[in-house]
Amino acid sequence: MAVGKNILRKDGYEKLTGAARYVDDVTLEGMLYGKTIRSRIARGRIKSIAYDAAFDWSQIVIADYRDIPGKNYVALIEDDQPLLAENEIRHYAEPILLIAAANKDLLEAAAHHIHIEYEQWSPVLSIEDALACREIIYGTDNIFKRFLIGRGDVEEGFAQAERIIEGEYRVPHQEQLYIEPQGMIAIPGNEAMTLMGSMQCPYYIHKAIKQLFHLNDEQVVVIQMTTGGGFGGKEEYPSVIAAHAALLAHKAQRPVKLIYDRAEDIAATPKRHPGVIRHRTGVRRDGRMVASEIDLVFDGGAYVTLTPVVLSRGVIHALGPYACDNVRIQARAIATNTPPNGAFRGFGAPQVAFAYEMQMEKIAAELGMDSLELRRINMLREGDTTATGQTLIWSVGSEEVLNEAVERANYQAQRLAFSQSHSSIQTSTTNHVEAHKRRGIGLSFFLHGAGFTGSGEAKMKAQAGIEIMANGHPRVLSGSTEIGQGTRTIFSQIVAEELSLDFSAVEIEEPDTSRVPDSGPTVASRTCMVVGRVVQMAAREVKAKLLHFVAERFAAPEVELREGKFMVAEKALADFQEMACEYVNLFGELRCFAHYASPPEIEWNEETYSGDAYPVYSWGAEVAEVEVDMDTYEVTVVRLTTAQDIGRAIHPLLAAGQIEGGTLQAVGYGLLEELVWDQGRIINNRLTNYIIPTALDAPDMETIIVEKAYPHGPFGAKGVGELPINGAAPAIAAAVFQATGAFLSEIPITPERLQAAIEKVTTDEHR
Amino acid sequence: MNAFEYASPTTKEQAVKLLGNSWTEAEVLAGGTDLLSLMKDHIVEPKRLVNIKSIKELGGIAGTAKSGLRIGALVTIQELLDHPRMRKEYAALVQAAEGISSPQIRNMGTIGGDLCQRPRCWYYRAGFGLLGTQESGEPLVPNGDNRYHAILGNSGAALFVNPSSLAPALIAMNARVKIYGAKGQREVALEKFFTAPTTGSQREYDLQPNELVTEIIVPPLARAKSATYEVRQKEALDWPLTTASVVLTMTGNTVKAARIVLGHVAPTPWRSTEAEAAIVGKAVSEATAEAAGKAAVEKAKALSKNGYKIQLAKVAVKRAILLAAKGGTR
Ligand SMILES: Cc1cc2nc3c(=O)[nH]c(=O)nc-3n(C[C@H](O)[C@H](O)[C@H](O)COP(=O)(O)OP(=O)(O)OC[C@H]3O[C@@H](n4cnc5c(N)ncnc54)[C@H](O)[C@@H]3O)c2cc1C
Repeated sequence: MAVGKNILRKDGYEKLTGAARYVDDVTLEGMLYGKTIRSRIARGRIKSIAYDAAFDWSQIVIADYRDIPGKNYVALIEDDQPLLAENEIRHYAEPILLIAAANKDLLEAAAHHIHIEYEQWSPVLSIEDALACREIIYGTDNIFKRFLIGRGDVEEGFAQAERIIEGEYRVPHQEQLYIEPQGMIAIPGNEAMTLMGSMQCPYYIHKAIKQLFHLNDEQVVVIQMTTGGGFGGKEEYPSVIAAHAALLAHKAQRPVKLIYDRAEDIAATPKRHPGVIRHRTGVRRDGRMVASEIDLVFDGGAYVTLTPVVLSRGVIHALGPYACDNVRIQARAIATNTPPNGAFRGFGAPQVAFAYEMQMEKIAAELGMDSLELRRINMLREGDTTATGQTLIWSVGSEEVLNEAVERANYQAQRLAFSQSHSSIQTSTTNHVEAHKRRGIGLSFFLHGAGFTGSGEAKMKAQAGIEIMANGHPRVLSGSTEIGQGTRTIFSQIVAEELSLDFSAVEIEEPDTSRVPDSGPTVASRTCMVVGRVVQMAAREVKAKLLHFVAERFAAPEVELREGKFMVAEKALADFQEMACEYVNLFGELRCFAHYASPPEIEWNEETYSGDAYPVYSWGAEVAEVEVDMDTYEVTVVRLTTAQDIGRAIHPLLAAGQIEGGTLQAVGYGLLEELVWDQGRIINNRLTNYIIPTALDAPDMETIIVEKAYPHGPFGAKGVGELPINGAAPAIAAAVFQATGAFLSEIPITPERLQAAIEKVTTDEHR
Repeated sequence: MNAFEYASPTTKEQAVKLLGNSWTEAEVLAGGTDLLSLMKDHIVEPKRLVNIKSIKELGGIAGTAKSGLRIGALVTIQELLDHPRMRKEYAALVQAAEGISSPQIRNMGTIGGDLCQRPRCWYYRAGFGLLGTQESGEPLVPNGDNRYHAILGNSGAALFVNPSSLAPALIAMNARVKIYGAKGQREVALEKFFTAPTTGSQREYDLQPNELVTEIIVPPLARAKSATYEVRQKEALDWPLTTASVVLTMTGNTVKAARIVLGHVAPTPWRSTEAEAAIVGKAVSEATAEAAGKAAVEKAKALSKNGYKIQLAKVAVKRAILLAAKGGTR
């Protein structure tokens, strides 16, 4: 049995021993190094580009927009983002020119001899500025995309409400901060282009390069190298860097390597969308929600890129794991003159999770009610209906995760103990520093739709296959990438389980578009649940073919495959490997492909944006215990207890790793991480000043995996990758609220923000 | 990083000859934990690196309880922490050194490098010059994001804070630095070593381009009580928001003499004679320590976004005093 076991990771040995090859480890004959020359203004136009005459340009390859053979855009949702600016500049660090040279010294020197002059225009740098429309930078109103979803009668709901509670919440940008920065090598050929690099989605790049050079499917080959993390940051952006490298390679007719250093990577590549989210909730005195109106605005940055899809996940998750019969949710994504925001683990959901959970805290406080009780009254359970009108018919672990987290963290007793200790604190007269510290405990409860939103999966029809190799072992053919999360390991477990083989017998083909089919992008918590399912179906087909073959060969109709052997009752006929080899010898090959089909129960209406937004949801609850220094505003997270329903843990250790890693990333979101902007440029684009939590900042974590099987996932599995990043920020803010009485409606909870909030409580009390 | 020449002299005389007459010619390389990142980011672009790690006489800690300490400039942060006499006699220095995490930085970073490390001001680190100015010369810090910038000594052009946590502790201990250069040997009080530059081409410390810090001399302290208190946003791989180091000479619970120095609040380590005056002659209590903290920030002036640091500095001074009086252990 392979599923449910903590087998050794498939990619572990190479990574641990340093044998794994990342893109920057590769040097090719005749290769040039590329560099991007970027704008140094947020908005305006290019007046002139001058090249110092004294410099020897003969050794430098220069490409600008005129060198683009196809159209000058990055193929994504809308084709509004130019690959290289022609005239107008819409954000700081926008690519204008590309240069390449045989060594990096020459490259740096050349960069110093290019002078670009601009005419500066007044930039739009915040959500408020964009909505105020003083400058129009997109369409007629600066709005990229709108959604309106809802059900019931909101006015009627508010009329029934005994209390109406309003809240406004603000969430910041967040940088993915994968360890390996973005990088790509482009190798030109005769009517061909090969790209190898760090990426999540080889087929996105495949599509972008085909369009750019008017090449066909076979002429473009995209190969994923060992990738040092992605977190969404290597979903859409690698298409840009690949196109840039390819342009230079095309012009130079030599391979070109383009690798960003950390400063460039943080300055220029997409971040999590910042947002402002307003809630207006009508409740009855007993806590039951009767009306909910939510308005959310995300800052998309300068170009559309993936923003509409992020917004769509945001709007669908905006009400959280709660039931309310009368709901109206308005969502807008606006344009600013900042680098485009894009995919980041969670994809719109962590933003709204902070808002809906803080709103629950606020409602509870205003009703004088326990917030856990409030959650229990309003939570979604099996059979309930969500804001899009989806009835939850399967795999609903909401009660289980809430109960587990609360029990394991001893939440109620601790909450009581802390609230009593606060009321008994006197102004201390001892010399004891500790007297200034206060403890608090807080809870968050959340869900995450697994797979693409709406009809995305039905349209995508993800493909994957299995082929039998010459040695009779199976090899998985899939475009899903390993980015540290465990794709290779879990795929081998799924196949091993299905074919009753040892997992070490299963090989995973390199994600290379000339060798693997399009399994869709490695995003949206879909790799295990969706692609894993397709891999399982392909394995089943291999099995069926071999069973049929063996049955005929041995004239034994009742053959079964058990523990790697074909059996009739208790008698072994032959083992898997032997029969698989024989099949391949006889028929030339054994390859089976399967593609994803949505469960027939699932229905989504794209026009009305209603119905089954996701085939299934993963559920989470998290308890944070914090200690706050009331004089220095230092917040220490003492303990985090997380319970998550992920259907089935194919590899429990990897799943727990996803949960702990995502949780710590969310601790950063809640407490530390903040990009600092100055006139449209990021000024803390260094690891020393964009601060993220390290091991010493990591609290004790307890992780509980709940398994409410999903009938259409492989062995019951659903998504786990993104769910954990939703929980920590609101749980910590709720704990800080209990500890200090200060209600933080904006993250990160930095010392200066906490000081302002605590001072507000103190002045309010004295009034 | 630009190409550079690399020299590895074995004596300080050779080293000084290899250093140039201007800052653009050469830089001293000790542990490299700061210098290399400055070079990668093109903030400093020396033509030559003079590695001083092969100069034996710049290493080692020596001295007796009577004579005080001589700490070689190349002594690493970890060596400081491991030295048997440190913890008992120089608690404030040990506590400051302990704040410098990670182990890698403690093992590579030297005391000389800690004192000469360049400011962390993000405008400076993003390429806008030491004083953080637009190409037009317009200063960026006053209207920009100055949440970590100076609250004291901030009436001049320099608004960054001195990044060293060891400097305040050493100044509180009345340490001196020995400097060797083309013109020979000189010695200055560490308190006078740091300066607030008025132009972007100056340095934040009193060194000529062809001078080296060779050692730090710390007077005997066995009978004083000392402590450093740090306020931090994050536990590792980050600088403190504020620190205070205090050295108290006490009779019973009464302070006879005090030296109180704040870190990360001003362009130089900030000695607060106001806080010293407030605590001298008093018995240490919550109230007197608080009063000293208040006195320390009496003249503080917030920029647009760093008002909260005034409170942090006040609390750091108060807690450092209480900690020192208690005997230095938390
Ligand atoms: C993530 C991180 C967190 C940190 N946190 C803290 C902290 O909390 N508190 C703190 O105090 N520090 C902190 N530091 C700074 C660290 O202590 C210094 O980087 C280190 O001490 C510098 O020593 P070095 O030998 O590596 O210096 P180098 O990098 O070699 O040199 C630094 C500078 O000093 C000059 N220099 C070095 N030695 C001499 C000498 N003998 N004479 C003349 N000039 C010299 C160099 O030319 C260079 O300009 C941190 C550093 C990092 C990277």
